[in-house]
Amino acid sequence: MKQRIIKKNKVMDLLSSLSESYRIYVAGEEKEISRFYEFNPEREILWDYSNTLIPAKEILFPQNQTLYEYRDQDITESNAKIPDTIIFGVRPCDAHAFTLMDKVFDTQEFQDPYYLKRHKATLIISLACNIPGIACFCTSFNSGPDGEKGSDIILHDLGEKLLVKSVTEKGEELLAKAGKDFSDPAQTDIDSKNKIMESAKQKISPQVNIANLKEKLDQAFDADFWDTLHRKCLGCAVCTYLCPTCHCFDITDETEKEVGRRIRCWDSCQFPLFTLHASGHNPRPTYKERMRQRIMHKFNYCPENFDHTFCVGCGRCVINCPVNLDIREVIKEING
Amino acid sequence: MIKEIRQTVKQLFDQNNIDIFIGYTEGTLPLRKTPCFITKAEDVDKLVWDSFCTNNLTVYLPRFFVPKPREKEPKWPKVGILVSGCTGRSLVGLFKEKQVPRENIVIVGVPCDGVVDIKKIKGIEINEGSENKDAIIIKDKTGKEKEFKKDDLLADICVSCSCSVPPVHDYLTKGKGRVTMVPYTGVKEFEKMSREERWAYFEEQVSKCIRCYACRASCPNCWCKLCFVDHTLPQWTGITNNVSDVMFYHIGRIFHQAGRCVDCGACVAACPVDIDLRKFTYKLIEDVKVFYGYEAGLSLEELPPLSTYKPDDEQEFMTEP
Repeated sequence: MKQRIIKKNKVMDLLSSLSESYRIYVAGEEKEISRFYEFNPEREILWDYSNTLIPAKEILFPQNQTLYEYRDQDITESNAKIPDTIIFGVRPCDAHAFTLMDKVFDTQEFQDPYYLKRHKATLIISLACNIPGIACFCTSFNSGPDGEKGSDIILHDLGEKLLVKSVTEKGEELLAKAGKDFSDPAQTDIDSKNKIMESAKQKISPQVNIANLKEKLDQAFDADFWDTLHRKCLGCAVCTYLCPTCHCFDITDETEKEVGRRIRCWDSCQFPLFTLHASGHNPRPTYKERMRQRIMHKFNYCPENFDHTFCVGCGRCVINCPVNLDIREVIKEING
Repeated sequence: MIKEIRQTVKQLFDQNNIDIFIGYTEGTLPLRKTPCFITKAEDVDKLVWDSFCTNNLTVYLPRFFVPKPREKEPKWPKVGILVSGCTGRSLVGLFKEKQVPRENIVIVGVPCDGVVDIKKIKGIEINEGSENKDAIIIKDKTGKEKEFKKDDLLADICVSCSCSVPPVHDYLTKGKGRVTMVPYTGVKEFEKMSREERWAYFEEQVSKCIRCYACRASCPNCWCKLCFVDHTLPQWTGITNNVSDVMFYHIGRIFHQAGRCVDCGACVAACPVDIDLRKFTYKLIEDVKVFYGYEAGLSLEELPPLSTYKPDDEQEFMTEP
């Protein structure tokens, strides 16, 4: 699609004017937590970060979400009005992750209205990675620092200016409408972008080999390596909650007399409660079964059901695991 | 020191004294070491010990001693473990609370010089790191180098550590461990704030929580088979990360630490959103010391005050408004 140039110092003005008709999220930092915050001209936008601590998935799939509220017989749906939204400057891996979430929340049998309504109202503007982070391994998953999957528009940071490329019709429409600060790119801009991307890709040398991983795991449910792989896992949910593709949730009711609400909250396969049956039986009673589930789900069941591994190589679980249980090492070990 | 550790562990395997040894090995990220489980003598060279061995390994121990249903005579393994001062205190707690049988544990103690808290390096993504005597040298992802004094990066718990040698051990490597100790004043300063300010601080801190339970999972004291927040019948707390729910969780978890927390810093290190948990757990450490003259994890014999009743126990606080 079309490529344009905008000066970086014009971006704030552009976002400010867009914020009149869109709810905009940008990468920022508050109380030392980097995540996507609602746009505020006072807040600094992060340009050089590798990845936010909390993935952008929380915008389309919030940690807690009220599905509906009720008082006596009256039910109020909480999903009724979703404002038009822009997620600005998300990394390509997080944008890629949305395409995977779509596969789960939009199947032939089930369409999840809560996620889908949000996604439909959202325009995703990604920011290519000039210098990838130390734990990035996106190139292992048919993507890369300039991967366009899931993005409506992708930005390339060229220092003083941004190269802006529309990826979808929806993205092109927005750019055409917001056009006054854009100009056409010179060949030098394109060359400069290509050079930066080449060096970025080199920095992410393919680190994990997933070529035959699914087939290997097909035969590996009872493999011996599960006995040792999980050993240092603490059983917390850092890896799953910070994962841009993990999408499991729990639904509960909060009720007080005749008033209440039904909510859904993130849940993690790493918690024992996750699979505890009403009978008291737990099919995944120990760390071993729970760790196996996480790996199998990402690298076997999802490829089987949705034709893609549920990992985009963002590296969050690698960096934030309290015991440095590195999923890249786990894959290496399984590969043998 | 590491030679001594490896030698001791090798000997333990050679003499059939242990089935498994829990120590540290090289991590996959700069300035990170990671827990490892050694099961044979040939592997002892994987073991490392330095300023980046930050995890409290004793958290893994109760897993080895879970009774299986209908098992009359459980065959429990002999487990060797590397502990420093604070993690050694955690271990004492696990013995006293009968989560781990003393006779099945072989303790290799190491006097600790303090560990580095890399979270103190703010605003820089560490792409490379090395230690050079008292300096920590890092490179960010653009290759820019920066040097820090190791002392400046010492974990807060190590700065105020008064117990660098494990109180109970079967083997102890040479060395004195860290001897300088600067008392932690965080609680004193906190107490000077008004009630509203204190509440606001607590609220601000816990509102960051994403309920990943890394604090619980990394804590050797959190060995409950079913945590109070996981109860569903009755459900004692909401499961959202709304501030009232997370407060309930944190207040519950912190209070369960009274007379048990040894200030090992595992929860603080594990927390991905850097909640200042220590301020609150340390308050309880100080209170238990003032009310009962007790410090957790220092002796196997001393009775834990909150599971013991004495007629002359201090009772004033019960009648305070």
